Amino acid sequence: MADPDDLDALPQATVVPRKRWRISVIWIIPILAAIVALGIAVQRIRSEGPTIEIVFSAAEGIEAGKTLVKYKDVDIGRVTKVELTNDFAKVRVTAKMAKYAAGLMVEDAKFWIVQPTISLSGVSGLSTLLSGNYIGFEPGKSTERRDNFAGLDVAPVITDQRGGQFALRANDLGSLEIGSPVYYRRLPVGQVIAYELAPDGNTVQIKIFVKAPYDTYVYPETRFWNASGVDVSVGADGVNVRTESLVALLIGGLAFDVPPFSPPSGPAAANTLFTLYNDRTVAMKAPDAGARRYVLYFKESLRGLAVGAPVTFLGLPAGEVTSVGLTFDAATANVRPRVVVTFSPERVMTYANVKSGAASALQDEQKRRALVRRLVEERGLRGQLRSGSLLTGQLYVSFDYYPDARKTKIDLSQEEPELPVVPGTLVELEDKLSRVVDKIDKMPLEAIGNDIKKDLESLDQTLKVANKLISDADVHLVPQLKTDLEDLHRTLAAVERAMNSADTSILGSNAPAQHELREALQEFARAARSLRLLTDQLERQPSSVIRGRNEPSSGGK
Amino acid sequence: MSALVSAARVGLVSCTTCGLLSRPADKANPGCCPRCGAVLVWRRPHSLQYTWALVIAAAICYIPANVLPVLSTTALGSTESDTIMGGVIFLYASGSWPLALIVLVASVMIPLGKLLALGYLLVTVQRGSVENSHNRTRIYELVEFVGRWSMLDVFVDAFVVALVQLQPLMSVEPGLGVVFFMVVVVLTMLAAQSFDPRLIWDAAGKGQMHHG
Repeated sequence: MADPDDLDALPQATVVPRKRWRISVIWIIPILAAIVALGIAVQRIRSEGPTIEIVFSAAEGIEAGKTLVKYKDVDIGRVTKVELTNDFAKVRVTAKMAKYAAGLMVEDAKFWIVQPTISLSGVSGLSTLLSGNYIGFEPGKSTERRDNFAGLDVAPVITDQRGGQFALRANDLGSLEIGSPVYYRRLPVGQVIAYELAPDGNTVQIKIFVKAPYDTYVYPETRFWNASGVDVSVGADGVNVRTESLVALLIGGLAFDVPPFSPPSGPAAANTLFTLYNDRTVAMKAPDAGARRYVLYFKESLRGLAVGAPVTFLGLPAGEVTSVGLTFDAATANVRPRVVVTFSPERVMTYANVKSGAASALQDEQKRRALVRRLVEERGLRGQLRSGSLLTGQLYVSFDYYPDARKTKIDLSQEEPELPVVPGTLVELEDKLSRVVDKIDKMPLEAIGNDIKKDLESLDQTLKVANKLISDADVHLVPQLKTDLEDLHRTLAAVERAMNSADTSILGSNAPAQHELREALQEFARAARSLRLLTDQLERQPSSVIRGRNEPSSGGK
Repeated sequence: MSALVSAARVGLVSCTTCGLLSRPADKANPGCCPRCGAVLVWRRPHSLQYTWALVIAAAICYIPANVLPVLSTTALGSTESDTIMGGVIFLYASGSWPLALIVLVASVMIPLGKLLALGYLLVTVQRGSVENSHNRTRIYELVEFVGRWSMLDVFVDAFVVALVQLQPLMSVEPGLGVVFFMVVVVLTMLAAQSFDPRLIWDAAGKGQMHHG
């Protein structure tokens, strides 16, 4: 304002050009920013999953903002809030699920808290040691969406693995636990997934899971037994120790197999109910379809005979003892040991005749009875208590033929027919022994002793005489023999000398005898020649003997 | 108010770099500063529009910068993402409130303050307000000064991400939020730069003239 006249010359409009209407390129920047931000926002909203609420009885190790919801170890959500329910009895956990997991939030989805578990059968949830507990998830089959759930206290049964679930009924749980292994031919093929007491409280129902493809080896005929720990049984068969594996030894387990007598049909349907037997032996026992109960009245002590002891037929197991007790006959005031056994001789026979078709002859109850009757009445089949093991004193009932046993009739019309018995081997042995002892008792041992004493005395005398004879021989015969021998020795020496001289005088090359002999022989040869000349002469001139010898010259002329 | 005569009003142009007042070479094209050689402008072209655009862009980016996580910490298999405010709350909850305060001021309040301050300046300039011109100039100077210090979060992020890489135990990854935060800082700095503080006084001069 100092000099307004000068300033009027300056054009005012050009100093501050205002072009508000003109959109500059710079506006691309905020538009771009808005587009990017909006895009991210839209993407966020679109990927926003549902928020769900799970009610747990306790929020062990669950932290808001940290704890994850995992399914197959994939994070599908995160806990955003942990608070008590309105009645302060439970914990309400709010979790934000991932968008892709929204379809999993259905009515029967299951949630539970996964904690690290370390047991002998393995370590599970180890990652939770570092990352904290997480919420496990198991999808449901329903299609009904839901956003509030009740969390499970224990992890549910595995259902997404391929395999089959089966139920077992047992008297007690034994040492089984969730996760206890199930063995098939000592292969771990599954595990116990749940157990519960039956509603009546009498049995325990155990659910097991057998992995594919092993579940196809579970047939309706399959028997399950408890392979828990060591199964030591001391029976009439001796001591039996059996265990499935070291792990089973420590933590227990189950095993199954098909008994040899029942060929397997098709695989068992899922959730088939099986009976859990206490051990393998019991489990693999053939079904006692044709078994009948028989009563045996033994006369001896039943000490060592237990329920379950084997009943053998010619040495093969054909039943078992089902009850051992005493029976009281009021009329005679007689108390007798009474043993009830199941006995099916035909069962043993089917082992051998199963292919020949002879077994079919035993299918009929009437025929079976007739067979037992014939066996007892004609062949002399008798029951007997036998000692299975001298060490343990366990007894078993044996059926064998006793052809010389007293003939008897049996009444098969009763519910539990009585079979005849013979005294047990031990009793028999006792009997025999006592008879022997009796006989020994009756022997005139004293008289025998005296006789023996006398005999011994006379023998003693005889020996003395013999002794004397020998010493006599020693005194008289031996010197004589000695002189005889010396004579013989001398004679032999003389002979030797004679031989030696003969050697030099006769046989040696310069021996005079030889020389003389040679000369004598030469002489003899000469004589022989003269003799020949003489004979020649005589032949030619026989007259020469008389006339004398002619001169050759004259004689020939 | 006679002191409030601007150079432009009297046909002179001041250098934005060295502050020398000089005669323009031409009305339309003032030329270069005879001292430092910088290009002389009467007023920065489209200053308000540019500043508005940048401020709006920064304001848009400010939202994701605070909503999106700036750091993703993966420790022992579990990943945790933290936003700026989440970090502030965490620091405060863990007892180190001075640190929380620093982060809060540097990363939340300063960017927000800058945006608000620039918005205030723009609105007042556009409305031709003549009041508080001194204070507004001071605000502008503060905004420009503070701009270079606002990258604190970005630096911390960069350091942490570079240093904490203990695979597989622990690793830190930058989140998308830090990108937006950086964009906010850069945009506000650019906005502050594109704003011509001389405009604050133009209105005052004009007002003075209108009043006069």
